[in-house]
Amino acid sequence: MAVDLSMPVLVVDDYQTMIRIIRNLLNQLGFRNVEEAKDGRQALEKMQASKYGLVISDWNMEPMTGFELLQQVRASETLKATPFIMITAESKTENVIAAKKAGVNNYIVKPFNAETLKGKIKAVLGDF
Amino acid sequence: MSASEAAAKIRVAIDSLKTSGVRERPLVEVLDLSHQMADAMKTFFGSLDRSIIGEFRYIADFIQKARDEISGLQANDIKETRIPGASMELDAVVRDTERATETIMSEAETLMNAEPTDLALYKAEVGAAMLRIFEACSFQDLTGQRVNKVIATLRHIEERVGQFAGALGVTDTAVPVSAADQRAKDLLLNGPAINGPATTQDDIDAMFA
Repeated sequence: MAVDLSMPVLVVDDYQTMIRIIRNLLNQLGFRNVEEAKDGRQALEKMQASKYGLVISDWNMEPMTGFELLQQVRASETLKATPFIMITAESKTENVIAAKKAGVNNYIVKPFNAETLKGKIKAVLGDF
Repeated sequence: MSASEAAAKIRVAIDSLKTSGVRERPLVEVLDLSHQMADAMKTFFGSLDRSIIGEFRYIADFIQKARDEISGLQANDIKETRIPGASMELDAVVRDTERATETIMSEAETLMNAEPTDLALYKAEVGAAMLRIFEACSFQDLTGQRVNKVIATLRHIEERVGQFAGALGVTDTAVPVSAADQRAKDLLLNGPAINGPATTQDDIDAMFA
């Protein structure tokens, strides 16, 4: 089944420029409904209020990190099926393993390019 | 009164007792013993005095040395001038970087949304945008100079603190882990690695394959 490009995508990052970069890349890929949150807590509130087809989150944020967000999402009956991609500068193997163990669908290490983002979204959601 | 003076006074007192007509044998023996003790104490306290004076001299020298080293540390200069200066430079780096990024992003977004219906106009628009991007990139020269100043400050502090610790023989002791450090450890907040990612994207991909 083809990916619905009108589905809401939530981009979570405390750095506005990174949100802008990811938003532009997603727009280029055809995703028209991109929303943003500045940290894990705000993202969780948004997710509890609306359904998202994909979450793309940074790791290192305060007061709630992307890793904590991932754990909360996977622990929630209503949210646990949400596809979740981590985009982060945290590149230690222990980070990748912890994220995988916590249920992340894919992991992108910063700096990244458009092709990498596209490839990971395809790997998680399917072709579009 | 010094220890030797005290011992001398005790001895005089004992001699005085001996010459005052005491004839009972045990008391005479006690006085003799006291006499010997007073002599022994004189020797003992005399040596003790010298070692204590030596200790006090050592402590006084150490305190003077510590005062000299603390003075050489230039803690006030570091606290009041160098660290605030470095902090201002870093603030400026962040500000310049944000300004340049904003310009570059805006120009790129303008180009992405530009319609190439009129080719001449489109070409002029692209050329102008590119020039503005080049101009914005000049921030790197300034930030490089600012960062060099911060590095110089850090090196100065490193040198002073190292010299201070070495001169006083300071050794590291365990300090309690702060709540922030513990949180960073628990949540694996390692930050970006130096010289590129610690794990490459290819290696990460292999873990998700």
